[in-house]
Formats: sequence, structure tokens, C-alpha cells
Amino acid sequence: MGLIPNFKNIATRSPWIYRINAGSCNGCDVEMATTALIPRYDIERLGCQYCGSPKHADIVLISGPLTVRVKDAVLRMYEEIPDPKVTVAVGVCPISGGIFRESYAVLAPIDQYIPIDVNVPGCPPRPQAIIAGVAKAIAIWRERL
Amino acid sequence: MNFLTIFARNLKQGPQTEAFPLGPAFTPERLRGRIEFNAATCEGCRICERVCPANAIRFAKTPDGMTFDCWHNTCVFCGNCEFYCPTDAIHQTNDWDLSHVNADKFDMVEHGLIPNQTCVECGATALNTAPMVKNAKPPLSTEEYAEVRARCPKCRAKYLKNRKVPA
Amino acid sequence: MSNQIAILLAVLLFPGGVFALAFGLAMKGVDRRVAARLQSRVGPPLLQPFFDIIKLGFKRTMVPAAANETVFLYTPLVGVVAMLVAAALVPITSVYAPDAAIGNLLVLLYLLMIPGIVLMIAGSASGSPYGAIGFSREMALMIAYEGPLVLIAAAVAIRTGMGMGGWATFSLNDIVAYQQAHGSFLFDPVMWPAVAAFCFFYPANVGIVPFDIPEAETEVLEGPLLEYSGPVLALFKIMSALKKVVVLGLGIALFFPAAPAGIVGGFLVWLVKMAVMMLVGITAVRLSMGRMRIDQAFVFFLKWPLLLAVASLAVVVVV
Repeated sequence: MGLIPNFKNIATRSPWIYRINAGSCNGCDVEMATTALIPRYDIERLGCQYCGSPKHADIVLISGPLTVRVKDAVLRMYEEIPDPKVTVAVGVCPISGGIFRESYAVLAPIDQYIPIDVNVPGCPPRPQAIIAGVAKAIAIWRERL
Repeated sequence: MNFLTIFARNLKQGPQTEAFPLGPAFTPERLRGRIEFNAATCEGCRICERVCPANAIRFAKTPDGMTFDCWHNTCVFCGNCEFYCPTDAIHQTNDWDLSHVNADKFDMVEHGLIPNQTCVECGATALNTAPMVKNAKPPLSTEEYAEVRARCPKCRAKYLKNRKVPA
Repeated sequence: MSNQIAILLAVLLFPGGVFALAFGLAMKGVDRRVAARLQSRVGPPLLQPFFDIIKLGFKRTMVPAAANETVFLYTPLVGVVAMLVAAALVPITSVYAPDAAIGNLLVLLYLLMIPGIVLMIAGSASGSPYGAIGFSREMALMIAYEGPLVLIAAAVAIRTGMGMGGWATFSLNDIVAYQQAHGSFLFDPVMWPAVAAFCFFYPANVGIVPFDIPEAETEVLEGPLLEYSGPVLALFKIMSALKKVVVLGLGIALFFPAAPAGIVGGFLVWLVKMAVMMLVGITAVRLSMGRMRIDQAFVFFLKWPLLLAVASLAVVVVV
């Protein structure tokens, strides 16, 4: 009995991250890359790892306001991520649309298409804020395992 | 063989990583972060609402007075509101950790209320905004400022016009 | 009968099985930690690969619609089993000697080829174009590096066999025993081309940065592994961890098996050799180089390691 929850605690120490660019300006993407690539923020310390395939991912970071053209691709990509998964919206664009809100080319609040769990507002957010958001996502992920 | 010296240097220096999720994060003093609104010094000119590129700021008239709302989830931290605010009622703090679970999405709001008041001179109902007295010469004393503040816009103008300017 | 039980235990417990798995994953953890330190980061915890495997056990496995489900799901199993058997073939001086029935260099060479073939089959069975690209790249790379490996093995076998008065010996026990008696091949100038060729070969075989072209995550999104998720992906991770142990162990057995007698001493020396091979040949190489293009890698392998291997074979036969 006690073994399975224990394994779950261990499993939460290995969240693999996948990022989806839903029409972002790359500002948030750069900050996300920063969390992994710059020694100062080293997200690998938490066991995180950016993976190249959506099928390996546990935590999805979505940036960008979900432009009309990219919507289908993003939804399909999201479907390909195996459960249990947690979604983090990075930057103000996916959360509300930010400065692109009410544009005809943008389907902004992304949570009307994809269930979002954690929001990290900012334009772009600081790398530390992204790490804090990932930490919150890990807490949610533990309950879903 | 340059990479070997880099390896050696890195090994000698040790990790440069911040302690952040496990410890405090480095935050610059003047980081442009969360907006903070001070209703007491707002003069109600609504320039911040006008200059906000993301329409994050909204003023609304309610029976109690005028409300100020800044939704952090669409604010882009550009600092226009702080720059244009004539009375420094809006400030950008260096608080950057705005991450929250999605259920709290619409609670991420900086809320402020400029209450209504009754003008001490004519009895009309008007907003208790900070008076625009930056250019008054000579500068108003504290008592004068309180008197101006207690009036409606029309009576304020009258008060300032009739103000005895010492020679 | 006791013979078979000993082989079974070797496959499931000590040099193969549990030990090789734990050791391979621990090596991966050390590798990641040291790599992080060399990049002046803190790095993941040492047990991170174990966490990853356990985490993958909790995930759902998805089979793409275009995939052949049976092949897709069961190929990695073949790879893991092959690597478990291969780990039982590799001798550890004065600690473990494989049973004479299985301890053959040629068998090991065949088994070492299986992970690459598994990756190829998995990539093509997934029905993904990236998997297909990974398949073709893996095949090109295998063609390039398997040749030198066979020649290296032949050089070692002939050197040992001629030293022992025959023609060629493919028994791993004999190779280790001969070097114990006559000094390691690492210090034998005749064998230096073979050693150099092996130093080029093993980073390619374990699939690290200059030669991880089939699984390049920035180009072909991890190629054959793209469509895998959950426990089946964990099998691939286990396979590559086992493969690392086998390849490094093979290098030690072929060129530098010298170790003091006694189980503890022999094992410690073996650990040190493994660590040196991994840190110098894998971690440092991985961090200091960029990824080659597949044509560059192909030409590179057909040029230098093949040349060195042919030279070593010629020198061994002539001298």
C-alpha cells in the first residue's frame, strides 16, 4: 500500500517539459529556453528536461495567443501528450490575449480550447516566474498521477 | 583545447545557479513587475486607461465612486501608466511572481476605489480625487490642500481662483 | 544443469540484469551531474534516471494510428533482452568470467548490433516520417561504425590467438587471460590503432552528441523514439543504459583488463576504468562538440576508424 504513493512522490521528481508555441512572438520562448540553458536558472535541477517529442512530455508550456492558423495544430499536439499531463500558460498572451486581445487573427484566451492549470503572466515572465509556475504545476501533477 | 580550460574554470568556480525555487531569488530594485495603485493620490484623469497598450486598466463609475481595475493577466509591464500618471498614483513594484492556478485567473486584479464625497461648499456629490495642484504657485500648504480636496471640481477652481496669493 | 542456472543468474542478476541496469542508470546520473558541473550548473540529482524510469511507468502508452501495434510495442523488449544477455557475456577481470558456452566475442558483436536494429524497426513501425528519417540515419551510422568494430574485434582475436599459438581466439575469457599474462593491449604499440579506432567507435555506439544523429532531438525530434510514450519509452531508456555498460565493459575487456586478484580489488579497478571511460569518452566529448551531419559522420567513420582498424588488423597479422 505504502509503496505506490512513495513511487508517486519519486515520479514527481521527473517532470519532462514540452513547449508549444501557439503563435508567440518568441519572447516567452526565449525565457523558457533560458530556464534550461542558462546555468543561473538550471531547471534540470528539479529533474525537468525539455523533450523534443510531445509524447514524452508531462508538463506543457504554452506560449502565444493561439492564432487562428495555428489552432488546429496546437489542439492536435495537445491531444498527443499522454495523460497525466499538466498545462501551463506562459505569458499574458495565452491567458488573456495581452496586447493582441480582440484581434481578428487571435483566439485569445486559450483556456476555452485547452484546459489550462497554471498561469504565469508576464510579457515575458521572468525565468524565475516560469520556474515558480512549473513548481505549481508539479504540485498539481502529483495529484493526477 | 580552449574548452578544457573552460571546463576546469567551471569546475573550480562551482555552480553559478540561483537557489530560487528552494531559496530566495535575486530581484533587481527597479524590476518592472506588478502594478500597484494608490487610490488616495489618484486625480481621476484616466490617462493610464488611455495609454495602456493592452487595455489592462479600466475605470468604472459605480454608486460608491470610481473604481480602478488593473488585470495583471493582460498587463504587459510596459510602465506607460506609471510614466504618464501626473500624481504618481500608479507604481510598478518589483514583485514578479504572479504565477497562479487557473481558478484564480480573474482574481489577479489590482483594485482601487476613488470614493464619492459631498462638496463642503455647494453640497454636490463628486469624486474624492486628488486635486490637480501641481502647478499652483506658491505651492499649497497642507491645510489648503485638504480644503481643496474636500470640494467638487467647480468649487475647487473657484477656491484656487479666489486664493489669496501673498505678495 | 548448474551450468544453465549460472548462466541464468548471470543474465538476470549480476553482470547482466539488475546490476547492469542499476549501474547503467547510475552512470547516466553521474554523467548528467558531471556535465552540469562542467557547464557550471547544479544539475539533477544523482538518481534522476531512476526517477525518470519510475515516472514513465505512470504514463499512458499511446500507439499511433499509422503504427503496426505488435511490432511497435514489442521491439524494445527484444532490445532489452539482447542487452541483458550481452551484459552477461562481458567479463570483469577477477570478478566474473562468462560461461565458456556463451562468452564469445562474435556473439557479443551480434548482440551489440541489436539495439541499433531495434531502433530502426521501432522507427519504421511507428509510421512517423521522423521515425523513418531516424531509421535511415541509424542505418547509415551502423554501416559506418560496425565495420571498424568487427575489424577491431578481429585484430584483438588474432593477436590473442597468435600469442597463444593458434590462429584466432574469440573466447572473451581467453582474451582476458592472455592480457593478464602478457600485459594489456593498451600498452602494446601493435594494438594502438585498434585502441584509437575503438575510442572513435564507442561514442557513436552509445549515441552521444557528435554521433546522436538518428535521435537528434532538434532536427528529427528524437527520431525513432518520437512516437513512444510511457513504459515502452522506459524500455528504450533501459536499453540504452544497458548498452552503455556493455560497450564500455567490452572496451575494458578487449584492451585493458588488468586488475588485481580478488573480487573487491578487481571490481573497484573495473569501476574506476568505467568511470574514466565514461567521463573522458562520453561526458567531455558530449559537452565539447556539436552534432555532425549524417554525411559527415558517415565519411568520418569510413575514413579514420576504418583506416585505423584496417591498419591494426594488418599490423597484427604481419607482426
